[in-house]
Amino acid sequence: MSAVLKTVNLVKIYQDGAIPVPAVRGVDLQVEPGEFVAIMGPSGSGKSTLVHMLGGLDARTSGEIWLDGKRVDTLSESAWALLRRKKVGFVFQFFNLVANMTVGDNVELPALLAGVSPKVARERRESLLGALDLTDRADAAPAQLSGGEQQRVALARALANQPSLLLADEPTGNLDSRNTRDVLRLLGKVHKEGQSIVMVTHDARVAALADRVVSLFDGEVVDDGRIARRRRGTAGEVIDLR
Amino acid sequence: MSTALAGSRWIRADLRARKGQAVLTVLAVAGIVAALITAATLLEDGTNPWRSLSAQSDGAHVWFYTGDSPEVALGGIDGVTQIAGPYRSAPVTVAQDGKREPAALRAMPAEPARVAHPLVAEGNWLDAAQPDGVVVERSFASSLRLGVGAPFTIIALSGERHTLYVRGVADTAEHGFYPEWTPGLAYVLPEMLDRIEPMMGRSEWVTGLRLADPDAAQVVSQRVVVMLEDQLQRVYTWREVRGAMELDNRLLGTLLALFGVVGLVAAALALANAAGGRVLGQLRDLATLKSMGFTRGQITLLLVVEHGALGLLGVALGALAGWGVMAAVLGPTSVAPVPVLAIVAGTALVVLAAVGLPAWRGGRTPPIPAAPASPPRGHLSRLARLALLVRLPPALVLGTRDAFTRRVPAFLTAFGLAVPMMMITIGLGVWATLDNFLSHPEQVGQHAGLYVRPGKLEAAEARRIAERDKDVAAVYPGTDVNALAPGEARSVRVRAVGSSTQPYPFPVVEGRRYARQGEAVAGQGLLDLLGIRIGDRVRLTVGGSPLIVRIVGRTVEPDQDGVVLSVGLDSLAAKDSVPPEYYALALRPGADRAEVRGRLLAESAEGLDVQAAVNPADRLSIIRVVIVALIAVLALIGLANLLTASALGLRDHAFDLAVLKAMGLTPRQVMATLVTGTGLLVVLGVGAGAAAGASVVTGLIDLQGHTSGVGAGIGRPPSPLTLAVAVVIAVGTALAVALIPARRAARAQVPVTAR
Repeated sequence: MSAVLKTVNLVKIYQDGAIPVPAVRGVDLQVEPGEFVAIMGPSGSGKSTLVHMLGGLDARTSGEIWLDGKRVDTLSESAWALLRRKKVGFVFQFFNLVANMTVGDNVELPALLAGVSPKVARERRESLLGALDLTDRADAAPAQLSGGEQQRVALARALANQPSLLLADEPTGNLDSRNTRDVLRLLGKVHKEGQSIVMVTHDARVAALADRVVSLFDGEVVDDGRIARRRRGTAGEVIDLR
Repeated sequence: MSTALAGSRWIRADLRARKGQAVLTVLAVAGIVAALITAATLLEDGTNPWRSLSAQSDGAHVWFYTGDSPEVALGGIDGVTQIAGPYRSAPVTVAQDGKREPAALRAMPAEPARVAHPLVAEGNWLDAAQPDGVVVERSFASSLRLGVGAPFTIIALSGERHTLYVRGVADTAEHGFYPEWTPGLAYVLPEMLDRIEPMMGRSEWVTGLRLADPDAAQVVSQRVVVMLEDQLQRVYTWREVRGAMELDNRLLGTLLALFGVVGLVAAALALANAAGGRVLGQLRDLATLKSMGFTRGQITLLLVVEHGALGLLGVALGALAGWGVMAAVLGPTSVAPVPVLAIVAGTALVVLAAVGLPAWRGGRTPPIPAAPASPPRGHLSRLARLALLVRLPPALVLGTRDAFTRRVPAFLTAFGLAVPMMMITIGLGVWATLDNFLSHPEQVGQHAGLYVRPGKLEAAEARRIAERDKDVAAVYPGTDVNALAPGEARSVRVRAVGSSTQPYPFPVVEGRRYARQGEAVAGQGLLDLLGIRIGDRVRLTVGGSPLIVRIVGRTVEPDQDGVVLSVGLDSLAAKDSVPPEYYALALRPGADRAEVRGRLLAESAEGLDVQAAVNPADRLSIIRVVIVALIAVLALIGLANLLTASALGLRDHAFDLAVLKAMGLTPRQVMATLVTGTGLLVVLGVGAGAAAGASVVTGLIDLQGHTSGVGAGIGRPPSPLTLAVAVVIAVGTALAVALIPARRAARAQVPVTAR
């Protein structure tokens, strides 16, 4: 089976005035279908930039990105947007729910955007919210929800179109330990159902949930290791070990 | 399709979140569009009743008055297709409810004429079976509050009273509306007129010529002048009638158009500002939408649709309201579809252009939601530095700094408030000008408060009675005559009042008053009509005798579109000036006109005919209603701008507030900081707007005066007190509006997460 995601010598250089600031310096990364990859590194190591580039939110300076066997780094901004609708789901540190819309609408929006009929979109929303235990909050405004609940809604939204790849940028960075546990349990659950995930984190305990941990330092991959014991346990057990 | 559905969800949710602002936008745009449509309708010919009246009555295009029945072959003039009359006409006075109004009684046969037949609007036309019937011209009838069947008492020149009964009320295309066009017009049967006024010498003959080509009126009237020479008393064409009918509509229309066009600019600014502010506040949401798969174009379209829809809804509502009001007031056919459609299309384009730029900027939001959308920081404006330097309270200093952190929105806010404030100041100036008309009538040519016609008495006796009254300061004998100007298709009014030894104090704004025989002052309308300037000589013909005068000054002239030449009575030939037609009475300050009038009537045993001067401000009072409505719309626009500024300020600085609170600012100080941030822009905008308005208002009113013939020199700026009150109200309201969100922000929990 071909890789879900592949990057070849991916480089990102920001231009700060006249001085070029390299953020990502030649990253080669391959994610197999169903794989859960954690990207770790200290602040400023380029991990967020990397994950933004993988989802097309940020343009690469050079290098290649392949998604589902197709080269995507050459796509225009609009083509990236169309691609994201079906193939990429995003979860951000600060949840980023659309503030004006209800929880239900937030989850339904990507499905509608992907061209699903309103009826099917409604069904998907019901099942996702049900799975995340948020059915009774469907008509609430995001601001009325706790951080953990908001992140669960964000996760539901990211999964609404069953994307090939789920990109998560510090999904627990803004949560307390209990909410962190809830969100991680959900991530583990969707991973078990076969979802490919790339997650950025600086928390080693969170990274321990993944199949594989990629360490980034100054924009370069310094370590890429598989966590062997991950095979035996479930997400819940890993967390319980703490 | 599905994207549209997703987009519509988002738009609905966003509009729900800012209902108040949305409603304000819609109302402001609607008000402006309604004003523009009203203006276009009033300025457009369609509202001028002349056209349809003339078509329905087969109206004549040239009218002239002669002393005797004209005995020349008028039908032989090229272009004349039909002749109306000649009809005999006699001057009478109508006594109604204690008032006496001058009227012309016209003899017309019972069978309707083929050309220039009055259009009976109520009741019936004259009938030989009812010889005491009279048909009254509609505007005259409504001014006298006469209905069908009402008695109509007239006093002939001999002083004899006759009572007729109104049989009908009719429209005509030969006559402007009473009281702007005097005397009033009434029709009786020829036999009746013979009874009321047996003296042929006291009556004149009216003849109308219907032309194949109305544009030939000028040439034809010239021919008439040449053919009739001495017999001719005055002549006018359909253009003067049309002009008289549209006078007030034009002034209102111009005012509305000025306010509408500038208001549209202000509304477009407010819309752009609101859309821009909203987009700035939503950058994070927009980025999230993009990360979910909205393209740049879709985001732009989404924003254009959302903000544009509000504007377009306003345009639609305004068009409906404007159309409705005009149709209700002037009749359903008065609104011409072409200008209305042009206005709707034009304003729709302006609306879309105004929201286009912010929408485009919104579309270019980078798709990374974490990207900070905070204002440029670390920048201390010069004003803030100055505030620090003079040791102002910290809240004030911080607020001052906040006011200018975003330069473009700060400018837009100040400018967006300045434009409505400027227009409000202009509106107040128009108001002050009208007030000035009322409080200083002598500045608009109404030095005299009462006009006394001798009536039954001898002229000298009338003068003696007037001079004896304790409240009469001066008595000026006067006569109004019509004069023919060389090369003109119409007669001009020559007002001879006062004398070179006791000149009437005309409000001369250029040059000087007449001081000797052969000198004259003129209104702007006359100068424009004849193409002359102060210092020029002009030769007119009054009843066959030449009148050669030198124009030495320009007066403010509210009568007859300014087409009036004013001279001393001694400049006229004796046959025209002796005895004087009337006496103009200047009253002592503080004297009550009605009281003086009552005394004069009692003194003369009702023998005198005493009339009060009609102030031009009285018939312009509708303008005050319009000004109030326009000020309301402009206030809405200002308010919309203010809400935007306030929301943006709150959003930009909510984060800083956390820091400020941590540093030890009290909630009150936090509130003061926020209010100062908005308030400073308000003060700047309102101050600049008021200053700009005050500096242009006099010039604008004078420009309008110049074009309407009244002449420059009437404009007055609003009084400093009015202006100060307006500024204080504007700033006070603005601060009160800014206070509400500021209070909420100051009390709210400090946000700890990123926005």
